[in-house]
Amino acid sequence: MRAARRTLLALTLVIALAVVPLAGCSSTDGGESTDNGTDEAKEPYRIGAVLSMTGTYAGLGEPEKNALEMEVARINEDGGVNGHPIEIIYEDDATDADTAVAATSRLIDKEGVLAIIGATGTGGTMAMRGEINRAGIPQISPAGGTVITGDFDPLVFQTPWSNSLVVPYTLDYIAEQGISKIGIIADSGGFGADGLAVLEANLADAGLEAVATEAFNAGDTDMSAQLTKIQGAGAEAVVMWTAGKEASIIATNMKDLGMTIPLYGSHGNARVEFIEGAGAAAEGFRFAAGKILIPEAYGDTTEAYQVALDFIDRYSAEYGKAPDTFAGHAYDALHITVNAMSTLDEDFTAAELRDAIEATTGFVGIGGTFTYGADDHNGMTADDLVMYEVKDGTWVLAE
Amino acid sequence: MISSTGLFQGRHGKTVDTPELLQFALAGLKNGSIYALVALGFTIVYASTGVLNFAQGEFVMLGGMLSVWAYSTLGLPLPLAGLLGVLLTGLVGVIFELLAIRPRKDGDPLALIIITVGGSMLLSSLARHLFGPTEKALPRFSEGSVNIFGASLERQSLWIFGIAAVAVVLLTFMYSYTRLGKAMRACAIDRNAARLVGIEPRMMVTLSFGLAAILGGLAGLATTPLTQTAFNVGPSFGVKGFAAAILGGLGNPFAAVLGGLTLGLLESMSVAFISSTYKDAISLIILLLVLFVRPQGLFGGSSRQKV
Repeated sequence: MRAARRTLLALTLVIALAVVPLAGCSSTDGGESTDNGTDEAKEPYRIGAVLSMTGTYAGLGEPEKNALEMEVARINEDGGVNGHPIEIIYEDDATDADTAVAATSRLIDKEGVLAIIGATGTGGTMAMRGEINRAGIPQISPAGGTVITGDFDPLVFQTPWSNSLVVPYTLDYIAEQGISKIGIIADSGGFGADGLAVLEANLADAGLEAVATEAFNAGDTDMSAQLTKIQGAGAEAVVMWTAGKEASIIATNMKDLGMTIPLYGSHGNARVEFIEGAGAAAEGFRFAAGKILIPEAYGDTTEAYQVALDFIDRYSAEYGKAPDTFAGHAYDALHITVNAMSTLDEDFTAAELRDAIEATTGFVGIGGTFTYGADDHNGMTADDLVMYEVKDGTWVLAE
Repeated sequence: MISSTGLFQGRHGKTVDTPELLQFALAGLKNGSIYALVALGFTIVYASTGVLNFAQGEFVMLGGMLSVWAYSTLGLPLPLAGLLGVLLTGLVGVIFELLAIRPRKDGDPLALIIITVGGSMLLSSLARHLFGPTEKALPRFSEGSVNIFGASLERQSLWIFGIAAVAVVLLTFMYSYTRLGKAMRACAIDRNAARLVGIEPRMMVTLSFGLAAILGGLAGLATTPLTQTAFNVGPSFGVKGFAAAILGGLGNPFAAVLGGLTLGLLESMSVAFISSTYKDAISLIILLLVLFVRPQGLFGGSSRQKV
């Protein structure tokens, strides 16, 4: 009797612990969608969002969802699109490609969405392609892999600067500093492996030579061995390509090894968590990214500056912290989709929506100014990038 | 990518010199000491239950996360925050045992191992909901690094070495000379026989989970200043610690530490002489080879029961 009761108690506790957070999420989600559905007489336009709310990219998926929720609420307050409210149905892909595919199927077959924003990661984004093609609806990805638009699909668009844009910009900048030999360290996952391939393809054009190329895995706790090898090979700068928390380990390892050569990173390191983790070792770290981190870089008389300031103010007020680049990518994905919808008749088809997205010209977003074309679904240029440097614990524009 | 490295080395005639080799060794020992601390946690639970606790990596995660919470959110000074974080982790270990392990009264190892796998998922989801998805940092206990014959080592790593050394001495002493330690080992060998001589096996198992959690918490606290922590770091710590414990020899604290250091050295030497891309594959292949020849692990006594 006693044992049975205790088992029951244990079970109840475990179930309660497991269910409470889930229940919390679904009740808020459900509440929102009914609000959107009943407030308006017209049927909402439904957009799917496949984001990583858990798993490795949870830190990216959260700001993305924040930005989408905030912007959808604003669009609907302003009367929606053609009188139709926008409804976003969120799915968590747990940073897993198979889950992303399953979520996509559900959004298409059960929810009948007109377009899908996602996935947060490059792996998930690519895996969804089969389902996207089956349904023939447009996909707008906030993931940064070059392969997303490099391996071209007419239905797939991308909002971040891809590695094929950032890598040549970064290498040219390094060459301008009078450096000729670099050591490369990249993670073995999607973003790092993608960046490494683009780096190796562009080294010669920039007049640089890689004297050492090292890899590490997500979850590794120390990169001193790889850095020792880079140092021993006579590199004049280290180029690091990763979006994970290992970036700050690399910066601290370099400082502890007494390496004084400069460290360059990528837009994957444009997160305050990097500076917090690396502390003093982050000083002097340089990386190229869009202008959202320091809106003055847009030029303070430009429209982009106003758009960015407005977004930063509203996001900071809503969530108590400034938006990062990932929030910006989601913002761009949503507004590009909604703008395309607003150019169409009320009952447009998915194919018309795709054509309208491709016709996006001069859209001033957070990541930059987007002009898509029949063979360009990334839509940005090197003009949308700027080089940052970490100074006194924050990023400033590198001279 | 291997060829570009090789090309350069050939042209400049650059080979691995002594300070550099020492630096590789230190890098390996540094990683190895982290693996060793996690491996010790596996050892404690195994020594009293004969079960591999796959939630051990989550204890490491919790030690870091709870210490960060105490330091940043509660605003406690670092030593106090660390103490609170480690003790809370120990408490989580005890609660985990009471709620998830104890109800399974027959002690069937396979069932218990599966429970620990489920428990590790539950703990990391809870951490994700309580502390958010982003990585968290702690300041170092001591700043700067020391120079050892031209190679450098962070002072923070000395803390990790120190904690591992103290832990292994205390545990070895406990298992060999104290009634508590002997009672814990007796439970793993034969529960019923242990009960017959007046040992309360349930108590021993609860204690061992608490102790393993405290040790995992210490590992999390000591490594977070170097690596940051996040809700999802548990499994990679768990895998490395598990490999270290198997490599050294399960159930023996001293062997677990040596296993951890060996694994770390294997990885860094793979980076130095072969390729960083395959360092994990190389060390796992060596782990398998060792197990073919010595199933009880490199440093495990031959009389140990088989794994």
